[in-house]
This record gives sequence, C-alpha cells and structure tokens, in this order.
Amino acid sequence: MPRYVLRRLLSAIPTLLLIATLAFALLHLTPGGPFDSERSLVPQIQHAIEARYHLDEPVWRQYLRYLSDLARGDLGPSFQYRDTSVNQIIALGLPIDLAVGGCAIGFALLVGGAIGLLAASRPGTCRDRVPMTLSMLGMSVPTFVVAPLLILVFAMRLHWLPAGDWVGGSWRHLLLPALALALPYTAFIARLVRASALEVMGSAYIRTARAKGLGPMAVLLRHALRPTLMPLVSYLGPALAGVLTGSIVIEQVFGLPGIGRFFITGALNRDYTLVMGLTLLYGALIILCNLLVDLCYAWLDPRVRLAQ
Amino acid sequence: MTRPAAAVAWALWALWSLSACAPPDSGSARANLQVGSALAARQELVRAVDAGGMRSLDPSISTDIPAERVLDDIFEGLTRLDQSGQPAPGLATHWETSSDGRTWTFHLRSANWSNGEPIRAADFVYAWRRTVDPRTASDYGQALAAVRNAIDINEGRAAPATLGIEAPDEHTVVVRLNAPTPYLLSLMSKAYTYPQYAPVIRAYGDDWTSPAHIVGNGAFLLRERVIGGRVALTKNPRYWDAAQVRLQKVVYLPLDRAVQTDRFFAGELAFTDSFSAEQTAWLRSRLGDQVVSAPYLGNFVLGVNALLPPFAGNRPLRLALSMALDRETLVRYVRQGLYQPAWTPTPPLPGYQAPVPAWAALPEAQRHALARHYYQQAGYSAQHPLRVELYYPTDTDNRRTYEAVAAMWRSNLGAEVSTYNEEFRVQINQRHLRKLPLFHYAWIGDYPDPYTFLQLFRTGFGYNDGGYSNPRYDVLLARADEESDAARRLALLAEAETLLNDDAACIPIYYYASRHLIKSYVRGWTSNIQDRNLSQYLYLLEHQGN
Repeated sequence: MPRYVLRRLLSAIPTLLLIATLAFALLHLTPGGPFDSERSLVPQIQHAIEARYHLDEPVWRQYLRYLSDLARGDLGPSFQYRDTSVNQIIALGLPIDLAVGGCAIGFALLVGGAIGLLAASRPGTCRDRVPMTLSMLGMSVPTFVVAPLLILVFAMRLHWLPAGDWVGGSWRHLLLPALALALPYTAFIARLVRASALEVMGSAYIRTARAKGLGPMAVLLRHALRPTLMPLVSYLGPALAGVLTGSIVIEQVFGLPGIGRFFITGALNRDYTLVMGLTLLYGALIILCNLLVDLCYAWLDPRVRLAQ
Repeated sequence: MTRPAAAVAWALWALWSLSACAPPDSGSARANLQVGSALAARQELVRAVDAGGMRSLDPSISTDIPAERVLDDIFEGLTRLDQSGQPAPGLATHWETSSDGRTWTFHLRSANWSNGEPIRAADFVYAWRRTVDPRTASDYGQALAAVRNAIDINEGRAAPATLGIEAPDEHTVVVRLNAPTPYLLSLMSKAYTYPQYAPVIRAYGDDWTSPAHIVGNGAFLLRERVIGGRVALTKNPRYWDAAQVRLQKVVYLPLDRAVQTDRFFAGELAFTDSFSAEQTAWLRSRLGDQVVSAPYLGNFVLGVNALLPPFAGNRPLRLALSMALDRETLVRYVRQGLYQPAWTPTPPLPGYQAPVPAWAALPEAQRHALARHYYQQAGYSAQHPLRVELYYPTDTDNRRTYEAVAAMWRSNLGAEVSTYNEEFRVQINQRHLRKLPLFHYAWIGDYPDPYTFLQLFRTGFGYNDGGYSNPRYDVLLARADEESDAARRLALLAEAETLLNDDAACIPIYYYASRHLIKSYVRGWTSNIQDRNLSQYLYLLEHQGN
C-alpha cells in the first residue's frame, strides 16, 4: 500500500502543474488588472507596482517564477492584501474552514447515516417516509435561506447563540455555521445511505445471512454496513474537499474569516496569486480526498486491489 | 393530511413557534434596550466595517475606508479630527503659516510611540517621503501634490529627499507648499500623512503592519488582525491623551451590509458602517433614533465623454439629458429619501455653496420642455432618437438608479439609452482609456473642500475620464490655487463650477449620505461630512438588553 500511495502522490504532481498552468493562463487572459482602480496611476507608480510583483516581466518568465516559488512552498504575495502573503491568508483562514467543515461533515455522516439506515430498516413505513420527506426539504432549501433562518431563530429571537464571528474557535461560534453547512449534506447522505442499504439488503448474501439465523442488527452491522458505505465514500471525496475549503455563503452570512470568500473576491480583484494558491489548494485537497476514497474502497470491499 | 405532509407541517410549525417564543417586547429592539446614565463597566465596542476592505494597514499604501477607520485609531497625524470632523491639534499643539501661505510650521508635543520611543519630527519626514517615493508604489503617491516637489518625486524626476518637508529640530515640522492650500489641515489628519516608525519598517518590510510588529502612536494598539476577519484594538496607555480615552477595547468586524443589520438586532454590534437603503423605513420604525443618516462627502454622477460621439462638442445634448432627469423622484423612490438631489458636482460643504444652475428651479413641465428644446437642437427627435450606451459597475443599487435614469430619458425625451453593467475591473480600464460614452463617475472627496471634486475636470488630470477640457476652467482653478484669501479662493472655485454646469461637463444625480445603526448606549459620536468617528471619543453607557 505505501508504494501505491507514493505512486498516487507522485502522479498528482503533473495534475497540479496542469491546474497551475490553466489557472495562470485564464487569469492572465481575463480583462482588467489587479491594480486597476478609480484612481488611474501615474506611469511611474504603475511601473513600480508592476516591478514589485514582477508583472513587468514577460508572461512566460512570470509563469516560471511562479512555479519556482511554488516548488519552495511559496504561493507569493497577495495583490489584494498588499502587506500579506497568500501563505499567511491560507494559514489564517484554512483552520476555520477545517473546523466548520469538519464538524459539518461529521454531523452529516453521523446523523445522515443514522437516518438513512433507520429509513432503510422499515421501507415504506412512517419511519422511512417522514425522514425522507424532510431530507428532500433539507436538500431543496438552499444554505442562504437556512443560515439566516438559524440566525433569526437562535441569535436574534432566542439569543442562545451568537449570530456569527469567530472568536478563537469557541463551540458557540461554531455551532450555527456548522449546522447550516451540514444540513444539505445530512439530507443527501441520508437518502444515499437509504438507497444503498436497500439495494444491499436485497442481495443474495444478505438473504443467506438471514437464512443462517442472524438477527436484523447483526445482518446490518456485520454484512450490510460496509457495502452500503461504498457510494457514500465516493460522494465524500469531492464533498469533503468542497466543505473543507469553505463555503462562501456560510462565510458571508456568519462573517467567518475563512478562505471560501477569497475564491470570489480574489477573482473579482484579479488577485492572481491568491486565486492560484486557492485553486491549487482545492486541487490538492481533491486529489488527497480521492486517494483516501480509494484507500477506503480497498478496506470496505476486499475485491478492490490497490495494486491494480 | 398524509403522514409526510403532516410531518412537514409539524416541522414548519415547530420552527415558527420556536422563533415566536422570544420575549414579547423583543419585537422592537428599542423597547428591549434600556440605557442608563452611568458609564458601562465594560468599555468594549464592537463596530462593523464594510466587507472586502482592510487590504493594508500600511498608512502609506492603504486606500480603503475600512482600513482608514482602523488607522485613525492606531495612528495620529499633526492634526486629528475632532468629534464634529473638523481638524484639531493632534501631535502638533499649534502651527503658523507664512504670509504667502506657502510655508507651514508645526510644533509637536512630547509624545511617544507605542513602544515607548519618543516621536520625533523626523518620523513625519520619513513617512511623507515614503508615501511619495515611487518605490513604495502607493496609490496615494500624488495625494501630497500640494507639497513642494511631491509630484516630481512621485514621477521619478526628483529624489525623495527634495520633498518640501523638513525637521529643523525634534519638535518642529516645516512644510513647504507649491501654493496656499487652505485644506492642508484636513490632509494632516489623513493616514498617508501619519508619522511612521522607521526601524520597524526597515526590520520587517511588508510584515511591519502585523500585530506582532506594528508600532503606532494613536489612542489604540493593534492586538489582532485576521485577514478578512476581526481586527481587535486595545487602549494605548502611552497615547498622549490616554486619560480622555474611555473605551478599553474596540473590535472591527468586516461584514456585508445585510449581515451588519442582523448582528445589530442580535445585539452583537453596537455601530454598523451601513445599512440597506431599501430597509430604511422599516429600520426607522423598529429602531427609531438608532438609525442615523447624514450628508456625506461624495457624489453620484454620470460622466459624459467629451471626446466621443454623441457628446463631443454637443453641449445641447448634455444639457438636455441633465435637465430631463427628475432627481427628487429618483431620490425619493429609488434611494428611499436618504440622499440629496444633486445639480452640481460639489456637495454642500461648510463655507461653500455650490452654484446651482438656474434651470434647476424651473417647474418640472418647463424643465422638460427646455430639455426637449435642447434635445432637438442637438439634432435628435422622435424619428431620430438618441441611441447611446450607459456603463456602470455591477451593483444592485447602481442598477436600480440607472434603469430609472434610462426610463426617465425614454419617457421625457424619447432617447433610447441601453444600460450595461460590467465587472468593476473590466469597466474601470475602459473608463480610464476614455472609451465609454456615458459612465458611472461617482467620487468620494478626499477632504472637505470643493477642489477635491473640481480637480477631476481639469485638463490632463489623471482621473478626468470624460476628457473635459476648457481653458477658462483651467485658468480659474489655477487662479484659485494661487489665491491665499480663503473667501476669494472659494469664489473662484464657485465661478469654475458654474462654468462646469454651463458646459454640462457631467450629469450629477445625487449626493451620498452616510448611514449607520448606532445603539443608543453608544455616545460621543457626531455625524460629520467625512463620516469619520474616531473611537477615542466614543464611550458606552450602562445598559440592559440588546
């Protein structure tokens, strides 16, 4: 397995290089520059700024410079936040997204998974229909509706929890954003697990297990659970990367200083280095999560062989 | 009712009843808040700034308003703004000017940096030279244009050492100007003129503004700064006027406008930076005098390109478009009565009454008739209507205004004006290249003086995106530059502005207003045209509720 992991990690390098190249090209092709402002700059200042950020060099040299800095782990200075580097922005913002996203996905897995299994255990009954209807609601109502509703109820009316902000990662500030972020994932996971469990429970080997006299819980936990989780694991790979790199809606509504909002503001401000840094981070996380998914497959399904 | 439907109904009812089980008086935030008369034991203020700013806390580089609010708290210049927004003695206790108004001598008080080192006159010299030095690459490199040699230095024709600022001794700053500059004292309270502590900048480079390194001289110290997040300040015990500062802690939160209002109602914010104009009536009904709005030093103007058809050499057309706008209607229905109609670029300023064109006083029907007369004179008619594009940066407020403007032109003149919104960065480039015929040209003044608005129309001026050029106008501004008598100078500027209005060099629509939600237990603030309320004047009264 270590060889497999190493091979996958090495194969990630050209992928990341391709992402960096595409992002670089797209950003430089977009009209408007990072230092265009209402105050048109005199040529000397324009040149000084361009020289400071090496924008006065030919594009190919800028590209090579970026790659060489990248190889040293330096994502460059932010063009938007002029006294800050992209590394600093990610170092400050990513832990917040990891905390909120981690809690959200943990909640979604536990609650959504439990609801899905519960629904699958009695298909067609009230225990199935009620949570599935609610999960449809959870998937349909967008986060930008759920989040303000949670604030309205728990912060503005009941004053139980703060409406936002991030004060050293206290649980009180974490709860509402994590819940708002978790709800659609919880709903989707519940439906996914239910569908998968129902399919697995109809399999011949489950029938055999029942025929051997095993109780419903034993059948579920010992034989049905692992194959049930297969589609969930496939879904979790990209979902995890998306959740952990921050949701712009959640960050805006709760005023969280994560990195999600920089995907948008960075692009609007033509902050080349910031957008490239975040794109690469997102790409790296996708690759990493997919690798974890494949490792999980091998653990969940003995028929999967990593070497192949 | 089927079971699933019943479950959904139950869930909705539960959510509603949960939100409705708040205390009965919480329907009104005013009723829920009881304010005493004694000082609150905990002097900690949480105030909001607009999201997306705070890009740099380097006084030489920073350009955005959120950062300005923080810099006003952690630095202080030769002057500081008083509660009414007027420049008052800051680090300088007093000053005198030469008879020709071109040399100002400021005398500094004994004060210390936050690290205990004494503040010297040389710290101002260092900071100003750094601001204008092209190597600093400051957007505000030309903001000190009034200071001798500043432009030459900024454009690389002279060395920073030749800047017109000297420190003959540790407590005296001498400023030499190109021309009498009556608004100089206002400039002295702007961030780019604050002193800077050179050793820390030399030691840490760009990172000198981090909380671990920064050395300031203002009423507060920077304790925490999260990029895109909270900025926390604590009282600076070494500040020369620390005895008068009552707040112990100030937290700035960069938030979207709608989120600011939510937080205000949740009791987590005491001072918002803004609120949505559409919510004005509702907010006033709920919050009463906690809703604060006042005239602001900014205009919302349409730029017309004097170099491109159809406006080049077509004064009648420009006049027709300006006259055909119903500004009161726009302000009342599109901007909820918050703003003031504008007939001329300069907003009302203390001591300056901007000249309003005579046609502005005409009854609407007569004004429209006159507009149609000019429209026809310009060569347009119902059979041959004006067709032109209006460009503005993507923004909901802009869209509402410009769609109303286009509709007014259509109905009052028959003109067919198409509105195009584009991303700001894309459009600003086109604007600077003078490729847009009709464009959003709003401007926030740098200092409370008409010159900050009128300079935009000077021939060759860097931000003159409409390419307006009138030698008479330039001569009047040049004469105002040289005039040392304040009243005569303002008269010259008014004369220049009259010329601008006669030429219809732009189409003013309205003047901005500042708008805040301020808890009634926050005291010490006064609305002022620059909308700058230094935290050092604010304090909190004891209170209960939100």
